[in-house]
Amino acid sequence: MTRGPATGGHTRAMGDVVLMARQVYYEQLNFWLNPIGAVFTVGFSVIFLLLVGSSAGHQRSSALGGGLLISYYVPGFIAYGVMAACFNSLTINLVVRREMGLLKRVRLSPLPAWAMMAAVSANALIISVVQVVLVLLIGRFGYGVPFPHNLLALVVVLVVGAASFTALGLGTSTLVPNQEAGAPITSVVFFVLLFLSGLWFPLAASSGLAKFSSYLPVRHMIVAVYDASIAQKGVSSWPWHDLVVMAAWGVVAAAVAARRWSWAPRQARSGRGRRLSGTGAAGRRRSQ
Amino acid sequence: MPAVVVEHLAKSYEGNQAVEDVTFEVAEGEVFALLGPNGAGKTTVIEILEGFRRRDRGRVEVLGYDPANQGTSRELREHMGVVLQELAVEPFLSVRQALTRNAGYYPNPRPVDEVLELVGLSEKSDDRVKSLSGGQQRRLDLGLGIVGSPRLLFLDEPTTGFDPSARRGAWEVVRALTGGGTTVVLTTHYMDEAEALADRVAVIDAGRIVAEGAPGSLGGRDVGETTIRFRLPGTAGAPPLPVDARVSGGGAFEIKTDREVEVLAALTNWALREQVDVVGLTVERLTLEDVYLRLTGHAPDAGDPSGAAERQ
Repeated sequence: MTRGPATGGHTRAMGDVVLMARQVYYEQLNFWLNPIGAVFTVGFSVIFLLLVGSSAGHQRSSALGGGLLISYYVPGFIAYGVMAACFNSLTINLVVRREMGLLKRVRLSPLPAWAMMAAVSANALIISVVQVVLVLLIGRFGYGVPFPHNLLALVVVLVVGAASFTALGLGTSTLVPNQEAGAPITSVVFFVLLFLSGLWFPLAASSGLAKFSSYLPVRHMIVAVYDASIAQKGVSSWPWHDLVVMAAWGVVAAAVAARRWSWAPRQARSGRGRRLSGTGAAGRRRSQ
Repeated sequence: MPAVVVEHLAKSYEGNQAVEDVTFEVAEGEVFALLGPNGAGKTTVIEILEGFRRRDRGRVEVLGYDPANQGTSRELREHMGVVLQELAVEPFLSVRQALTRNAGYYPNPRPVDEVLELVGLSEKSDDRVKSLSGGQQRRLDLGLGIVGSPRLLFLDEPTTGFDPSARRGAWEVVRALTGGGTTVVLTTHYMDEAEALADRVAVIDAGRIVAEGAPGSLGGRDVGETTIRFRLPGTAGAPPLPVDARVSGGGAFEIKTDREVEVLAALTNWALREQVDVVGLTVERLTLEDVYLRLTGHAPDAGDPSGAAERQ
C-alpha cells in the first residue's frame, strides 16, 4: 500500500512486464492444451502442405507463369498460418471467453486490460511464427523450395499482416453474437475467403475472382507473402500496395473493435436461469 | 470505516430504470445479502460496486474508493474478489494452473495450496478444469475469487443452479472465509441462502430497498404473529381459546395470533384436563419467505434448485 511515487512507479512498471510475460505463458499453455485449436491452426497448415507437396507439388501452373505449384503453396501457407492464428483462432477464442464470462472476470481482476490484450496478441504472434518457421523448413528441406528471396520484406509483410489480422480478429469477435455461432461463422467466412482469394489454387491476376478478392484483405496477404518470397520478373519484392490495403482493413477493424468491445457476455447462457443483467444480455437474448 | 457505502444510487438502461434509489452500508467483516426477485436490480447494484458499470446518480464508496474512478480501479481490484453468476473457468488448464495464474495478478495472494484446501479441491489440483463436475468447477470459481486474499468478496448468486449438497459445500466455503474477517456482499433469490449466510439482509424489489435487517428480525418476523396449527378428534368439543380459530374439515385448527403463549396455555391446560389428544401441534413464526412475499408481492421465481426455469 505504501509505495513511494518514484520507485513505486518503477517497481510497478517492472512488475507489469513480468505480469504480461506470465500471461503470455498461460495463453500459450491454454492454446497448446486445447487439441482442437492447435490442430486446426498449426496442424492444418503442416498437414495440408505435406499432402499437396506429395501430390500436385511438382506440377506447373499457368497462373504462375509456369512456376511450380509447391513454390506457391509454401508462401500460401505462411500467409495461412498468420491469418489462422491472428484472425480465425483469435476471434473464436475471444467470443468463447466473452460468452463464458472469462473476459468479465479478467476485467474485474487487477490484470490491466492492456496486459490481457497484449498477451492475447503476443500469443497469436508466437503461434504465427511457429507456423511460418515450420512451413519454411518443410518447404526447403522436404520439397526444395528456396528460402524467401527478400527476407526483410517478408518480415515486414508478416508484421503488418499479423497486426492487421489481429485487429480483424478483435473487430470480428465483437460482431459474433454468441458462443455457438463463434466457431462455425468465423471458420466458414475464413475458409470461403481463403478459397476466393486463391489459397487452394493460384488465380490469374486478370481473373474476375482475383479482382473481386482484391477488395478483401486475405488475397493481399497471400500475394504479399508470395511476392516477398519468390523472385518474379517485373514484380517488386516489396508489395507496398498489398501492405497498404491490409493496414487499412486493420485500422477499420480496430475502430470497430474499440467501438463495439464488450467485456460482458452478449447473451444469457441457456444452461442456468438468467434474468436482466445488463445492457447486452437483456436486449439481445436469443429467441427460440 | 464501512466497507461499502451506497447512497441514493440510480441506474437506467435504455429508458428502463433498473435501480431507482438504493441506499445501504456494509460494515467491515459483515456478510450482507441483497435479496430480491429476478430483474429487481441486484446484479446492477453489485456490478456498479465492482466498477463494472457506471452509475447514473448517487454516491458509492467501496473500501474507501469510488469504483467509477479509473485511476484507482486497479488498486480497488487488488483488494476485492469476485465470483460471477456464471461459471467462469477455462477448460484446458489444470486447477492448480488456473489458481496460480490468477494469484499472480494480486500483490498479496493467498497460497494456492491453502485455497485448494479451503475449497476442497486438493485432490483434484492436477486435473483439467473440464474434467471437474459442475459443483467442483463452481468451487474452483470460488477459489479464483478468493486467491487474491480479498478484503471484500462479491458473490453474485453463488449457488443458482446447484444441487442441495453442492450448495451446502459452497456455503461452508463462504463461512470459512467470513470466519477470517472477509467482508462479503452477496446477491441471492434463495431465502435459505440469505438466512444461512448473511448477518444482514436487504430486500430489493423494482430497484428499491423495501426492507433491511437481520434475517431473524426482517419485516418484524421476530415480533409479528405466530401460526398455531393442530388437529382434534371429532369427539372432542371446542377448546376454550382466547382468540378466534379457523376450523376446517377433519378438526384441523389454524390460529394466527400474536398472543401465542396465552393460546398455548389455554389449549394445553384444556387438553390435559379433558384428556383430549392434540395431534400435529406446530407453532410457526413467519418464515423469511412469508416476509419476502409480503414485501415484494410476488414469489421468488427460479426458485427451483435445479435452476432449470429460465424466463424467456
